[in-house]
Amino acid sequence: MNSIEVEHLTKKFGDFIAVDDISFQVREGEIFGFLGANGAGKTTAIKMMSGLLRPTSGTAVVAGYDVLTQSKFIKRNIGYMSQRFSLYNDLTVFENMQLFGTIYKIPRRELKNRIMQSLEQLDMTKQANLLVSSIPLGWKQKLAFATAILHKPKIVFLDEPTSGVDPIVRREFWNLIYQTASTGVTILVTTHYMDEAEYCHRVSIMADGKIRLLGTPEELKRQVGVNTINDVFVAYVKH
Amino acid sequence: MNELRMILKKEFIHILRDRITLLLVLAMPVALVLLFGFTISTDIHNAKVAVLDYSKDTHSQRLLQKMFSSNYFQIVSYPNTEAEIDFQFKENNIKLALIIPQNFEEQLEKEHVVTLQVINDVSDLNVASILNNYVRAVVRDFQDEYNSERSDEGDVNIVTKMQYNPNMESVYMFVPGIITLIMILVTALMSSITLAREKETGTMRMLFITPVKKIYIIIGKVIPYMIISFFSTIVIIIISVFVFKMPLNGSIFFLLLLCIIFMLTSASFGMLISAVSTTQLDAMMITMMGLFLPTVLLSGFLFPLNSMPMIFQLIANVFPAKWFILAIKDVMIKGSGLSDVWAYLLVLLGMAVVFISISLKMLDKRN
Repeated sequence: MNSIEVEHLTKKFGDFIAVDDISFQVREGEIFGFLGANGAGKTTAIKMMSGLLRPTSGTAVVAGYDVLTQSKFIKRNIGYMSQRFSLYNDLTVFENMQLFGTIYKIPRRELKNRIMQSLEQLDMTKQANLLVSSIPLGWKQKLAFATAILHKPKIVFLDEPTSGVDPIVRREFWNLIYQTASTGVTILVTTHYMDEAEYCHRVSIMADGKIRLLGTPEELKRQVGVNTINDVFVAYVKH
Repeated sequence: MNELRMILKKEFIHILRDRITLLLVLAMPVALVLLFGFTISTDIHNAKVAVLDYSKDTHSQRLLQKMFSSNYFQIVSYPNTEAEIDFQFKENNIKLALIIPQNFEEQLEKEHVVTLQVINDVSDLNVASILNNYVRAVVRDFQDEYNSERSDEGDVNIVTKMQYNPNMESVYMFVPGIITLIMILVTALMSSITLAREKETGTMRMLFITPVKKIYIIIGKVIPYMIISFFSTIVIIIISVFVFKMPLNGSIFFLLLLCIIFMLTSASFGMLISAVSTTQLDAMMITMMGLFLPTVLLSGFLFPLNSMPMIFQLIANVFPAKWFILAIKDVMIKGSGLSDVWAYLLVLLGMAVVFISISLKMLDKRN
């Protein structure tokens, strides 16, 4: 079953075409890599899929709901984590999770259990009452991810979740992503790290608002005739 | 409702954990009201005075001597008619005129009552009221001295005539003015800055991507600062009534209701500002230039509106402060109630509705 179906999705800002007629499907439980240079239109595409931005034309069905007419339902069924760390620095770890959990209408007692469970999984139980500003960036990113999946969304959008994070934490972060995907959650992730692209089930490469390439990392490498996704990327984004 | 409660909790945490800002916000009103209160009542020296002495007897000479031996006053002219006094006022030569009636000495000695006339230029209210107090003090001094010299008591009355602003209703302008400024600073500025901060840090997008209602986010931003500024308003009113003897003739509850409505208006203005600004700096500059400065200049708080060019008087109508100051002045000084000032309240509420609906629309568009 597809959890994301995008058809001819286009977004124009005045004369500028940020996203130009893209179409693709993402299966349930899939880790879908969304690659592209800065300004290629990734973030705009994610905004449209998550119901934040209205497409100029085309449509997308996310988690079974139409972005044009049912964005309210989409919001309940997706999680989001952005490139910039975006939890509240002056709230504690627990308070942040409690805030977002409550916004998603998770019942109070259930929420407490989930937070505890999630912190245990992250090995951050001791940090529950620390201000977020006082914990290292890598931990913050993991925390942001844990917060984004607290309400058990069907799809998680990760917009460059690992930028600025050291390699060890990146590895841990990808373990979290795998764990989450294995429970049937669809992951759509954008990244600048081409080694991370190799971890994805399928990747798409965007340039100038269009999807240039789409397939498994192996397929893409074979198709372009190179050994790494990095080479694929360089070959395609340069044109 | 749970969500709203949680959002409010979060906002309060933001405020309480930012100690310095909190301290600033709480101390500012007290500092401002004391500053204005005391600086406005500074001493005035050598105010220019015209004297029209109809009696020219020893008592009147003695009074005048008393008056001008203090360095508060300086006689610049001895006009012969009241028309001349008028002219001097118009030429801006004098701040005050003293008219001593005919037979000053005789009246005082025989009837034990005499009345002096003092004419004030009230276009500069603060100066006028201070000078008036000086005159009273001098006359009381003269009277005490006169009475101590003899057994029968004499009474010197003063009739004060206000020139140019006969109701003198804005002597206490600074209190409504400060309440207005504080409410704008706290509700509009603080809430728009914190909303813009969330845009800067990216948490706003986090919130928007959740199913939470946008109005909750806005209410969450506004309520805590409304509570703080409500508290500040009460402090200002207490200080102005007990320290500066500002009259409070209207109902205190109605006064507070009025303040709450104005808070709502300025908070909604703040929301509008944060809807159009993307950084904290934007929010601050727009509030300062677009709201704070026009409020100081055009609300009639420091500079009387009716002496401004028509165009500015018209522009002043757009800013909520003018309407609020009109209403609060009436309530505090004239003791007006809802039946007198409902029109002002309606304007304020109408503005709030307009600002809130525009900012909700803008927030939708921007994100």
